[in-house]
Amino acid sequence: MARESPLIRATCVEATEFMDLSRKFRVTGVPKTIVNGSTEILGALPEDMFVRSVVGLPEDGSPGDGQA
Amino acid sequence: MALLSEQDRQTVRGHLAAIQHPVKLLLFTQTIGAPETALIAKQVLDEVTSLNDLVSLEEVNFVLDRDRAEQYGVGHIPAVVLLTGNEDTRMRFLGAPAGYEFMSLIEAVILAGTSDSGLAPESRALIAREVTAPLDIQVFVTPT
Repeated sequence: MARESPLIRATCVEATEFMDLSRKFRVTGVPKTIVNGSTEILGALPEDMFVRSVVGLPEDGSPGDGQA
Repeated sequence: MALLSEQDRQTVRGHLAAIQHPVKLLLFTQTIGAPETALIAKQVLDEVTSLNDLVSLEEVNFVLDRDRAEQYGVGHIPAVVLLTGNEDTRMRFLGAPAGYEFMSLIEAVILAGTSDSGLAPESRALIAREVTAPLDIQVFVTPT
């Protein structure tokens, strides 16, 4: 997504190496995605649902996939 | 020390052949008191740069080069910032990109070295339409 917009920065964080960040964002399972320090996306979503979630739109009524 | 078997090196070399533009990996670390993971990150990145001439590595001292750490928003080490030429791709890795994250790193290097994000047309349209303010995406992962 960072390749598509100069406004997007994407960081892959190794959770066990940065326990302070993991605690801060209450990471109890992976993958867990945090957008702008607040929005939480749990689990690996299909691309369309993930992109919608990241940009702040509903996941399009798909069933909950929130397991971590 | 090679981390990959010769067979894996060949496989990764094949993937990296897609790269068209130079990719520079900035590894933020420190000389004294660097975590062990920084040494692992260095080994991993050395291995990647050995597999394609368009991929290069530059070590940045996190302690001494605060300006660049700030420029790229690096607050922890080890951190890897991917550049295309000298342009920031805004893709980063925090921690040693080993284990499963190794392939994520390879994918990111390929994304940096090509002009194609690989996203579906619908995703591209959505991003172009909806993203009007900075978005900072952090994906927490584990190596196993």
